Amino acid sequence: MNKDALIIADHAFTSRLFTGTGKYNEQQTMLASLQASGSELVTMALKRVDMQTKNDDILAPLIKNKMKLLPNTSGARNAKEAIFAAQLAREALQTNWLKLEIHPDPKYLLPDPVETLIAAETLVKEGFIVLPYMHADPVLAKKLEDIGCAAVMPLGAPIGSNKGIQTADFLAIIIEQANIPVIVDAGIGAPSHAALAMEMGADAVLINTAMAVALDPVAMSRAFAKAVQAGREAYLAGLGSQSQHAISSSPLTAFLEEFA
Amino acid sequence: MKITVNEVEKEIQPSSIEQFLKDIDSPIKGSALAINGVIISRVQWPNYQLQENDSLSLFQVIAGG
Repeated sequence: MNKDALIIADHAFTSRLFTGTGKYNEQQTMLASLQASGSELVTMALKRVDMQTKNDDILAPLIKNKMKLLPNTSGARNAKEAIFAAQLAREALQTNWLKLEIHPDPKYLLPDPVETLIAAETLVKEGFIVLPYMHADPVLAKKLEDIGCAAVMPLGAPIGSNKGIQTADFLAIIIEQANIPVIVDAGIGAPSHAALAMEMGADAVLINTAMAVALDPVAMSRAFAKAVQAGREAYLAGLGSQSQHAISSSPLTAFLEEFA
Repeated sequence: MKITVNEVEKEIQPSSIEQFLKDIDSPIKGSALAINGVIISRVQWPNYQLQENDSLSLFQVIAGG
């Protein structure tokens, strides 16, 4: 048993790197990347079937690799649509786990806090394990925790932007106040960003774009796995405090005084 | 009889949801279905008989972040 397992709603995860399945050029690359990442929780989306075209079977290989599936409600523009999408996702994947995301504006894909809170409240009552995607808003994070969400997923920067942890000060407040896991989602574009989030005390990160669009997605996934591990170990080890002025690491002064 | 699936009209033999999905070669796993706006649980698919003019909304899991 891993002593540092991450527990979300009674499920233990060894890896603190969660992954998305979107944007990969080929399914084989996606599967190889997910394996290289060591991820145990992967997100998926739902769409209305186009009767004219055939979709790849994405599900079978993920189940075979024992990945836990986290369907999202991407595409929902308000609470009503998200609740409907959640109920469909529960049927499609036979899981009550849900990444709740409501982002009505297609340019920045920023989560709608009001609709997210309304939907989360209903979905928790319906027995869903709700992991809401949200802005790095400490007040909202507390409210989502209070109504029974299993974790919160604040953003570092807009989805797919690769801009890193632009919300650091507010993530720090969320992490300080949360009694449920904090998963930094969206915007993480490099392993160093993921390491920073983990050093700050985030419980996990969710990466999709940065892996999928890398020149070598499999190698990038390995790099992310190492970064998340390093960041977590650094957090547990306890980082030294920062200072405005230098604090010598060697007792140089005393040595020089003897020759003065 | 006539039904619509995601706004496409189809002429089918009377059948259950499950039989219909098999007939159109649509996977059961990873799919969800609403009929006339009401989600039908997968456990009901083998016995749920489609009716004339039913409007089906069929969804499938895809890659996403």
